Amino acid sequence: MFSSIRIAILLFFIAVIGAGYWYITKLQNDNQTLRNNNAQLQVAVDTANASVETYKQEFQRAQELNTKLQGDLQKAEAYSDELRSKFSRLDLVQDALKDAKNLEGRMNGATAKLWREFMANTGNSSERPLPKWLQPSTESPAGTEDPDSSGRTETPSSDSSTAEANTTN
Amino acid sequence: MDVQKLRVATVARPKPTQLTDVRVFVVTKENFEQFEAEFIDTYGELAFVALSMRDYENLALNIAEIKRYLEQQGEIILYYEEALDPNNQ
Repeated sequence: MFSSIRIAILLFFIAVIGAGYWYITKLQNDNQTLRNNNAQLQVAVDTANASVETYKQEFQRAQELNTKLQGDLQKAEAYSDELRSKFSRLDLVQDALKDAKNLEGRMNGATAKLWREFMANTGNSSERPLPKWLQPSTESPAGTEDPDSSGRTETPSSDSSTAEANTTN
Repeated sequence: MDVQKLRVATVARPKPTQLTDVRVFVVTKENFEQFEAEFIDTYGELAFVALSMRDYENLALNIAEIKRYLEQQGEIILYYEEALDPNNQ
């Protein structure tokens, strides 16, 4: 009977030790799994942070480009707006009746300049001489050469809006 | 996880325009005879296209609109080129 109790106690201790070993092994496995999960989550968080940072930079850059684009688009409206406003102020019929040659010179100057601006805007960098009817000439009939008619001697390098402005002379 | 960015190769621009000069004559009752003589002297025949001042203004405004459109389109192309430039990303 005594030996049965001893055996029972021995079995009990063996069971306790076995259970303890099993429990510790389980804890170690769980711990390893949690470490692995934690490492993966850290990588995911780092990637997400990097993505957020990239998106922030992209967004800021897109905003800058968009602001610049809006400004440039607005600038392109200027010539059209200016011309429209000029035509509403001017009376070309009266200008023609007053001094047809002067108006003609300004119109031809503005037109020549406009074509050259078109060409420059599309990448044509060639310097093109003004047409002969815009060249300062001694052949002009007397009295048609107007010193104020800058359109007749305008250089193509200046802006056509300036040429149009000359129509106000 | 990698962030994938769109890569688009930029293409060459179209051939630049090569425009021809156009001459305008302003003709009134007063200078018509002088215009007629000079015109025949220059072109041989008296045949021309006439525009009223209003139509001339409309033509100029139409061309200005086309100019505006071309310039704005050019700016938009530049915008996309810059936005897609891998050196700027």
